[in-house]
Amino acid sequence: MTLRRTLTIAALLTPGLGLILVMVGSVFYIAVAQSFGYYNLSGESAFSLDHWRDVLGSKQFGRSLGYSAYIAIISALGSIAIAYPLAIWMRKPFRGSLVVGSLLKAPLFVPGLVAAFLFLNVIAYHGVLNQFLIWTGLTDAPIRFQNDRNGFGVIFLQLWKNMPLALLLLTGAVQGISDEVVDAARDLGAGPLARFRKVIAPLTVQAMQAALIIIFIGAAGDFAFQVTAGPTNVQSMAQYMVFLKTSFGRWNQAAVVGVSLMGLALVGALGLAGLARLTLRGLKW
Amino acid sequence: MVSLSDTAPVAPRRPRRPAFRRFTISNMLIAILLLVCVIWLVVPFGMAVLWSLLDPSVRWEYPDVLPPALSFARWIEVWNTTSLPMALRNSYILAPTVAVTTLILASPTAYAFARHDFPGKGAAQVLTLLPLVIPGFVLAIFFSALIFSLGIYSRFLSILLAHSVLFLPYAIRLMTVAFSNVRLDLVDAARDLGASPWARFRVAYWPALAPGILASLIIVFIQSIEEFAVAFVVGAPNFTTIPSILYSYLGYNFVRPNAAVVSLVLVIPNVLLMLGLERLLKSANPAQTGVKG
Repeated sequence: MTLRRTLTIAALLTPGLGLILVMVGSVFYIAVAQSFGYYNLSGESAFSLDHWRDVLGSKQFGRSLGYSAYIAIISALGSIAIAYPLAIWMRKPFRGSLVVGSLLKAPLFVPGLVAAFLFLNVIAYHGVLNQFLIWTGLTDAPIRFQNDRNGFGVIFLQLWKNMPLALLLLTGAVQGISDEVVDAARDLGAGPLARFRKVIAPLTVQAMQAALIIIFIGAAGDFAFQVTAGPTNVQSMAQYMVFLKTSFGRWNQAAVVGVSLMGLALVGALGLAGLARLTLRGLKW
Repeated sequence: MVSLSDTAPVAPRRPRRPAFRRFTISNMLIAILLLVCVIWLVVPFGMAVLWSLLDPSVRWEYPDVLPPALSFARWIEVWNTTSLPMALRNSYILAPTVAVTTLILASPTAYAFARHDFPGKGAAQVLTLLPLVIPGFVLAIFFSALIFSLGIYSRFLSILLAHSVLFLPYAIRLMTVAFSNVRLDLVDAARDLGASPWARFRVAYWPALAPGILASLIIVFIQSIEEFAVAFVVGAPNFTTIPSILYSYLGYNFVRPNAAVVSLVLVIPNVLLMLGLERLLKSANPAQTGVKG
């Protein structure tokens, strides 16, 4: 490349990619630096491992990390497990498939806070779900579903919001498989399960990995669903980080939680994606 | 002479299956799924509409399945007594500004991705996705530290900057596809016929770019209106947006009918815009168009 061409491309990339690198890089740098005692907004800045020691030693951090990982793993795997059969079913257009597809994708258009509110209405103590249960005689009195201790409400909301995304990615990938390939497998005697294991799953693994990564990162960093519908006895990582920063102004400790959350997002997302590839490669054999 | 039609084997006509046989498992699945989808969407949204219309003079409690009295009083009350009008103004000034700024910032990078080959292009394209893989609240909190240390005290400018960076990946992707759809033979033909730069842009570039530009503007607009983390961490309490108001009604100050009103104010325009976007994306089909180079 000539110097002129290099400069042209650099100039073109600067306002978009350049800005992203500067901003995201700065945010990452500040989070890491603050976690080690640097870049303090007030007071002295000096290297210190105290903040890491304090946070990692607290019981609350361990609970938050485990809880966020639990919500993220279940949400990512659950979304894929629901979306795969639907994507395969809608591989070929059929009467009503457009309507079904649109209805399934609709939650994608609903902001997270609105989704949480809609859910709270349905599961409220005197909400429609409890009324239905009492009407059918399944229960005698309303049940308290909101802020359940196991985080099932948050998982339901994550599935409601994220399954359409997985469906969108998987439908595109499944529809990209040619009929000849599937028909050849069928002619060779492969049943529906074998066709999925040996043909469809290996050919759509990239879309599945993309869905797993996006959903895991989003669910691990969740704040809105947790605050509105999550258990009150444990905080998610994002909630814990905001709590440290806003309630006590403990920027350094919030930074430790933030860096740990980024670590969880990275390790968890890549781990799930790698596991998916390994599993499918195993199935292919 | 024997015609072809005389010799061609006649395929045996398949007997028409009885109606009950045509009711296949697939049809049954569609019916079940449609029912689930109705419960999935109609019930929650229906309840939000009913709660927003609940008259303040009555209470809606068990065993009432429907509200005892309906009126627009809640809508009027929320409009007159809360900061919703200001939040609406803030959101609807911020979002179009973010959309235009993001488009302007994204276009040169998208042009480079679509029209130039250079070493490290693949890595550069992956790096543009960085804002999507950093958890939203981590970005929001440490971005607030950054703007504090830079001495930027304007909430509007701060959120504008953060939103522009957050949503650049969408705009870059959409505009890359749009630029790769520009046909160079058309540009050359227009040039050979003596067209001015403006005429070349109008006939060769604009038809390919227009769907991408509109899609980018709409998707960034919607994302900015909905975004909560940055708006809450950086903007609160002085600069309120619609999600910030909704959060206040869902948190410490849980007022169900008011939250219903704000939810509908937030979601209805976005759904309408999304429907428009889907039409645009279908016409441009950027998801399935390969990026050149």
